[in-house]
Amino acid sequence: MAEICCDVVSENEEPPQYKSSSRAARRRRIEIRRFKFVAGSVSPTESDCCKRLKTEASSLQRKCENTVEDGGGDGKVEDKPNLSSDLPPVFCDSFPKFGVTSICGRRRDMEDAVSIHPLFFRRELQISARFHFFGLYDGHGCSHVAMCCKERLHKLVAEELGYVEASLDWKGALDRSFSRMDAEVSGGGRKEQLASNCRCELQTPQCDAVGSTAVIALLAPDKIIVANCGDSRALLCRNGKPIPLSSDHKPDRPDELLRIQAAGGRVIYWDGPRVLGVLAMSRAIGARDNYLKPFVTSEPEVRVVERGGEDECLILASDGLWDVVSNETACDIVRMCLRGRRSPGCGGDEEGSSSSSDRACSDASMLLTKLALARQSMDNISVVVVDLRVRT
Amino acid sequence: MSELPERNDEEAVMSRATRNVIDLKHETFDKFYEYWLVEQDRCLQQLLAAARTGDGEEDRLRHLVNEVLRHYENYYANKSRSAKKDVLAVLSPSWTSTLEEAFLWIGGWRPTVAVHLLYSKASLQLEDQLEGFLRGISTGDLGDLSPEQLGQVDGLHRRTVREENKITEKMAKLQETVADSTMVRLSQAATEVKGEGGEVEEEVERALEKKKEGMEKVVGMADDLRMRTLKGVVEFLGPLQAVHYLIAAAELHLRFHEWGKKMDAAGKSDH
Repeated sequence: MAEICCDVVSENEEPPQYKSSSRAARRRRIEIRRFKFVAGSVSPTESDCCKRLKTEASSLQRKCENTVEDGGGDGKVEDKPNLSSDLPPVFCDSFPKFGVTSICGRRRDMEDAVSIHPLFFRRELQISARFHFFGLYDGHGCSHVAMCCKERLHKLVAEELGYVEASLDWKGALDRSFSRMDAEVSGGGRKEQLASNCRCELQTPQCDAVGSTAVIALLAPDKIIVANCGDSRALLCRNGKPIPLSSDHKPDRPDELLRIQAAGGRVIYWDGPRVLGVLAMSRAIGARDNYLKPFVTSEPEVRVVERGGEDECLILASDGLWDVVSNETACDIVRMCLRGRRSPGCGGDEEGSSSSSDRACSDASMLLTKLALARQSMDNISVVVVDLRVRT
Repeated sequence: MSELPERNDEEAVMSRATRNVIDLKHETFDKFYEYWLVEQDRCLQQLLAAARTGDGEEDRLRHLVNEVLRHYENYYANKSRSAKKDVLAVLSPSWTSTLEEAFLWIGGWRPTVAVHLLYSKASLQLEDQLEGFLRGISTGDLGDLSPEQLGQVDGLHRRTVREENKITEKMAKLQETVADSTMVRLSQAATEVKGEGGEVEEEVERALEKKKEGMEKVVGMADDLRMRTLKGVVEFLGPLQAVHYLIAAAELHLRFHEWGKKMDAAGKSDH
C-alpha cells in the first residue's frame, strides 16, 4: 500500500478542494508570484535571512506534522529543527526543500515505498555532520520488504553512523546497514508488524522471492552520500547536466554479470536478462536465504560527492520513471519547475515565496510522474525531488 | 457561449430522459439500454460543446457534470431493478456486444477502469500541451492535474483495487457453490428419475434461487463500486477537467459498443 513516510501527496482523504479560478485571476497570481520571485532575488540582508530561516523552520515543522505518517515517531520530535538564532546565514539551506510523488500507476499492487527523514542524524557541535535521509524502495514479489526498509533502514544507518568516528567510513557504515536490513527482512524478525498490509501472507518461508531495491541519499551541508542496491536510481542535476549518482544493478551490466558468474550463477534471458532467469536485477535487499543468494547481493554501491554551488537538485526514482524518462529529460523538467516558472495545474496555491520551493519540488516530482504515465509506464512510479540550490 | 445549449434546453433534454425512464419502467432492460445510449450520445454532444467554450462559467459546467452523473445513476437504478427480476440476464447481458462481454467484470466495466481512463486521457492531454507546459501555460484540462489531485486519485485507485478484489472474492465463493453437495446430490437425483421428479425440480429451483439472490447482491455491490469510483474521480476534478473526463468516458463507451456491434455483424455474415 501507499508507503510514504513524508509524503506530500499521501493518501489523505481530504474533501476535494478544487480552488476555482478564472484565467484572469490565475494570471494575476502568476504576476504576483513573478514579482515575489524578483523581490526574492535581491540579495538578502541578514534580517531577511533570519526571517527566511524562521519560515523555513515552520514549513519544515508543517511537513513533519502534516505529512510524516511515521507511526513509530522515531526521533521525529527530537529531530525537529532546533533553530538557534545564532546559526550563521550560510546554513539557511540546512533544511532541504523536497517533493514526493508515489503512485500505484497502472499496476494493481503498490510495492514502492518512500521514506524521508530530515535531520535523521547529527553530531552535536558539528554543523557539517547534519544529515537528511531520503530513501526509495521498489519492492518485488510483495510490498513487505520495501515496507520494512521504509520503517527501518534509516534507523540502522543512523546507528551505524553513530558507531564510527569523525573520519567517516561511509562505505563500511552503509554496507553494514544494508546487510543488517537484509538480515532483518530475511530473519522475519519484524515482519509480523507489517503483516496486515501485506498481500503475500508473508510469514511463510515460501515467499522467498520477495525483495526490494534500495536507493538512499544522505544529504549533508557539504556532501551527498548515495548508497544503491538494485535498479532504482539517484540523479544529481548540476549546472543543467544530469550526473547519475548510482548505476543500476541489472544482471547484464558487464561487471555484475562477471560477479554473478564468478559466484557460480547464471543470467538467463527470460523477458529480459534475469538472475537464474528469475530476478531482473542483480542486487536487492531480501531473499537472503533463498536460492538467488549469493548471486543477488544486498551490498550497496556507495558514492560520495561534494556539493557545489552549481548543484540544482537531486532526484531519486523507481524504474517506473527511469524505464520511460531519460536522465536528461528528468533533469530538464525539474530545472524548469525549480526555476520558478509556474507549471500549470498547481491548483492555485497562495503560498508565499518561502515555501514555493517545496511546491516547485512537488510539482516537479508530479510532472515527472505524469510524464511517465503519459509514456505508458505500467509500473508503480515514485519520484523524490530535493532542491539543492544554495539560497542566497 | 452560444454553442452551449441554454440551461433550459439542458433541463428539457434531461427531463425528457427521465420521462423515458419512467415510461420504460415496464419495458425490458434491452429497450431501456437503447434509449440510454441515445441519451448518452446527447450528453456527449453537450459535454463537447461545453469543452469547446473552455474555461468560464464554472457553475454551468458543474451543473452539466451533475446532470451527466445523474444519467449514469439512472442507468444503475434501472439495472438494479432489472437484476431483481432476472439477475442472470444482467450477468450475461444481451444488450452488449461479444467484444464488450469479453471485458465484463461482474456484469459491467471494471471499476479501476475509471482510474485508467483518467490516466490515459490526462496523458494524451499532457502530450498535447507539453510544449506549453514548459512555458507555464495552463489549459485547465486533465493535463493540468495537480499533485493533490494525483494523490487523491491514487488513493481512490488503491481503495478501488482492494474493494474490487473483495467483490471478486465474493463472486468466486458463490461460483464455487455450483458444485456444493446440494447441487451434486440434486444432479444425481435428477439423472436417476430422468425428468419425472417434480419434487426434485422444485428443490432445484429453490437451490438456484438462493444462489441467484447471492449473485444479485454481488452485482449490486459491483455496480455500487462502479458508480462510486466514477463519482469519486469526478469529485477530485475541477469542472472543466470533469467535462473532459466525462467526454472520454462517453466516447470510449459509445465507440467500443459500436465496434463490438460491427464485429458481431461481420461475424454473423461470415457464417
